[in-house]
Amino acid sequence: MKTNHMNQYAVHAILILLTAACVFPFLLLITSSLTQEQAIVRDGYSLLPKAWSIEAYEYLWNKSTSLVKAYGITVTITIVGTTVGLLISALLAYPLSRGDMPLRGTLSFIVFFTLLFNGGLVPTYLVFTEVFDMKNTLLALIIPGLLTNGFFILLIRSFFSTSIPVPIIESAYIDGATEFKIFYQIVIPLSLPILATIGLMLTIGYWNDWFNGLIYVTEPELYSIQNLLNRMLSNIQFLQQTNIGGNNSTAAAGLPMNSVRMAMAVAGILPILCVYPFFQKYFVKGLTIGAVKG
Amino acid sequence: MKKKTTTLLLSIMLVLSLLLAACGSSENGGSASPGGSGSEAGANDSEAVELTMAFINLGTMSDVAAVQEEINKITKSKINATVKLMPIDIAAWNQQVNLLLAGNEPLDLLVTSSFFNYSSQVAKGQLLPLDELLEKYAPEIKNTMPSEIYNGTKIGGSIYGVSSIRDVGADYGMVMRKDLIDKHSIDLSGVKTFEDLGTVFQTIKDKEPGIAPLVQSTQTGTVAYQMYTPQIDPLGDSLGVILLDSNDLKVVNLLETDIFKNKVTLARKWYEAGYIMQDVATTQEQGSSLVKAGKALGYFNNMKPGFEAQESKTTGYEMTSVHLSEPVIQSNGASGFMMSVPRNSENPERAMQLLNLLYTDAEVMNLLANGIEGKHYVKNEDGTIKLPDGVKETTYQFNQWEVGNNFLTYVWEGTDKDIWKQTKKFNESAKVSPALGFSFDATPVKTEVAAATNVVNQYKVGLESGSLDPALIEEYNEKLKAAGLDKIIAEKQKQLDEWAAANGK
Amino acid sequence: METPQIAQAVRAGERKESGRLNFILRKLKRYRALFLMIIPGMIYLIINNYLPMFGVVIAFKDINYAKGILGSDWIGFKNFEYLFETKDAWIITRNTILYNGAFIVINTVLAIAVAILLNEVKKKLASRFYQSAILLPYLISMVVVGYLGLSLLNVESGFINKQLLPLLGMDPIAWYTEAKYWPYILAIVNIWKNVGYLCIIYLASIIGIDHEYYEAATIDGANKWHQIRSITVPLIMPTITIMTLLAIGRIFYSDFGLFYQVPLNSGPLQPTTDVIDTYVYRGLMTLGDIGMSSAAGLYQSLVGFVLVLAANYAVSRKNRDQALF
Repeated sequence: MKTNHMNQYAVHAILILLTAACVFPFLLLITSSLTQEQAIVRDGYSLLPKAWSIEAYEYLWNKSTSLVKAYGITVTITIVGTTVGLLISALLAYPLSRGDMPLRGTLSFIVFFTLLFNGGLVPTYLVFTEVFDMKNTLLALIIPGLLTNGFFILLIRSFFSTSIPVPIIESAYIDGATEFKIFYQIVIPLSLPILATIGLMLTIGYWNDWFNGLIYVTEPELYSIQNLLNRMLSNIQFLQQTNIGGNNSTAAAGLPMNSVRMAMAVAGILPILCVYPFFQKYFVKGLTIGAVKG
Repeated sequence: MKKKTTTLLLSIMLVLSLLLAACGSSENGGSASPGGSGSEAGANDSEAVELTMAFINLGTMSDVAAVQEEINKITKSKINATVKLMPIDIAAWNQQVNLLLAGNEPLDLLVTSSFFNYSSQVAKGQLLPLDELLEKYAPEIKNTMPSEIYNGTKIGGSIYGVSSIRDVGADYGMVMRKDLIDKHSIDLSGVKTFEDLGTVFQTIKDKEPGIAPLVQSTQTGTVAYQMYTPQIDPLGDSLGVILLDSNDLKVVNLLETDIFKNKVTLARKWYEAGYIMQDVATTQEQGSSLVKAGKALGYFNNMKPGFEAQESKTTGYEMTSVHLSEPVIQSNGASGFMMSVPRNSENPERAMQLLNLLYTDAEVMNLLANGIEGKHYVKNEDGTIKLPDGVKETTYQFNQWEVGNNFLTYVWEGTDKDIWKQTKKFNESAKVSPALGFSFDATPVKTEVAAATNVVNQYKVGLESGSLDPALIEEYNEKLKAAGLDKIIAEKQKQLDEWAAANGK
Repeated sequence: METPQIAQAVRAGERKESGRLNFILRKLKRYRALFLMIIPGMIYLIINNYLPMFGVVIAFKDINYAKGILGSDWIGFKNFEYLFETKDAWIITRNTILYNGAFIVINTVLAIAVAILLNEVKKKLASRFYQSAILLPYLISMVVVGYLGLSLLNVESGFINKQLLPLLGMDPIAWYTEAKYWPYILAIVNIWKNVGYLCIIYLASIIGIDHEYYEAATIDGANKWHQIRSITVPLIMPTITIMTLLAIGRIFYSDFGLFYQVPLNSGPLQPTTDVIDTYVYRGLMTLGDIGMSSAAGLYQSLVGFVLVLAANYAVSRKNRDQALF
């Protein structure tokens, strides 16, 4: 690699600034989760709080049974959803990327159309609950996010069609390879960058998904970690903004305070922060492999 | 290419419509059969059924399955049915209920409320009329509450919900930290109106820097709101209210009343004098947390017997209070929290029998409200209950005000033993709005209501908390009118007149 | 369930008449593996996306569950009225388009710039560290972002008012009541949250560019700026086009979390923070009317659809390959 590079100092300076801007709120989040409750309300949020406390984490620890269970649910749906989603997406995207595929334009349009039109919440809910009976099942947390409205398919398709040389596919076909073999032995290895990217996006999508849980799940047994967090946070917000008679404060008494909310947010992002570097290792590897092509 | 696409789209439509027809018919089949089989099953109790009961959840409910099991032991023998408890978080409530009622999932008892679209649920045919069922399967419920409350949930002459027995009325005033009041020897006996509180605030402001004399209990429970509400009936959404003092059923524009203008001006005066916390309109802290953190003296609220004890528990300080209005029961006194039987129910008869237990069976009601004895509470000698020793936080927290006959339940330690007696007396002493029992159905003016709600959201909290100049009331009013407030008021008046005629008022 | 194409082809095949059909059959046989591949995805789309589309009828109905969804009365465009008839309609439409338009431009430019910068970093480890850091905000949900925002902007206890402004000798600002700051705040939050993600996508395509191009350009004496302009940007154009087209299709939708959670639904901020989604949500919270929410959804879809068709047409006239369909 003999290409000239920009001034490394300037590049690093800019990127370090950007990094700081991205990371700062997280530091604030972590310190405030470790700040004594009264200190937040009294002294404000600060990177160096006057009174530290692990009260918030003790509170969470006391609820750890539901927390551990929720982690289990989240990890399961994330792994299954990402794997299946990636497979289906790549399988669907590949034929659409082939210039010689009959009906290519129409099929692409069918995929694309789903990005713009949807039936809305209630009809979708009815299809999944009445026709497929998925309410309160793990499937309801997995299925609706699988293809994320065709968006990823178009990305993969575009990668396939721009980055995989047609002559390779043609010569493999002439050599007698089946389409599946071509897909699996040539296309996939050449497309690791995009697959890693989409895989990561799917993972994040599943990890952060709270909406499907909100809609399809009423059993606390099936709450994912985001569901748990979201329901606590939004309950607080709801009470604050609604006036339903004189019973608010009774109800609010049982709800967690500032530092606990922050601790919950930490609990929600911590695992993905831990997993992400490993993911990225493959991700970067994938990128490198993708770059070396012949 | 074009032609192909068209053909393709057409064929997709065809497939879809076939599938649709299939779902459609299965839906019809689904709703037709339960009606038939349901009535048969209800007629004899020989066949055990499972009843699903959905209610609002706010706290920890991890032991709900254990409680459910205990309740089932009783219901199994009494009405040959088991109950499935379905707690739904308050923040998800609107959406979940909307979806549950749109589908055909099993759902036999549902908490409904005029705060949560009760009237439009009835208008959309989502709830069953209960009069006959009540008469036949739960005749005792009628005797557990005053008839104006029992009948106060009627829409179009039929009962669609049974009110929970609770504090249906409220009086208004302020709760505040007793230690600060004592420390500065403030005499509260002279405080008879909200206006009188000014001197109290001044003392605290002068002597306790860092403590705001007045905050709000919640963002929408604004300073002015707590002051004008005892004099009006908001008829649901406050878009068109009646004045309680005038004792007639004329719907007026709240913004054009003197009451509103005076209270907003007073709030502004206090805000400018520094009595009200400066970011009161946007704080995400509830009043009780601000007091707990030592940042506030107290807040206005709607109150009931035992309120000071309740707030003392929440804030961690001993709280005292001044009551500055007489107790009032507004139009939603009955429909504030009810139990209804949704259209989904396959066994409305059995559901009604279960409902009857919630109003007459102390054992069932105590299980539901307080959990299992020995596990979630233990009894004191004086009949009150407390958390078992060594238990810091309960694993079963039910918000009992929403359901059933609360007068049957045990009282928690720290609250007066005869709290239910006091509550009953409180309810009886309350001034009753002439519109008690009226529920506004917003459907005919939904365009206007949607637009007006956005305007209210923009101005209400700012103006009523004193954060904005009262001169903006005019602008607020103009925008509401542009959004169609007059049409909403006219519709409300029309519905109210019809309701009055039907109920012989 | 088979895809309609196969069904069509099979139906056509049964007639077995002309040579053209034979040709189609041969083609079908040649591509049968590819058709097999798309079957799972297509079935999924039909179930998840196309089947629920019957829901558009709800937008034109006065739903009464006693009559059923299909049996309810038709009421024409009544459910759409509140989107057009009120004075706010213009404001929310304007806000939505301006915000999303600005987001598309700013995010794309910044993401490409950062991606190019990242690509310039020689040290692998450092590059990986930066990538992780800028993708961080994308990993968390908007609810949490709302709380982060509050910890920064809270009037009485926020970091900015309590720690930062005193340092600069400035008075505290009531962030949640001053509408004029919010276009910038929202843009910053949006950039903070989403640029990392876009950037990674662009980085993936930049890394995919063959190094030989750059080497040749360097030999020819082209400076960095030239290389970016004439190699990097043109070669990642397909990605830029797709991402932009997709964003245009969603220009009438807004990130609900951004416009609702981050400003904490504060009323005085509405003139600058209200967009179609939040307006509809607020209006319908009290009504719970699915007819009106369906109407809003249909309106947003239709506008997005028309815009994308137009943009796609423009793109396909310039370069057939880069168009979406």
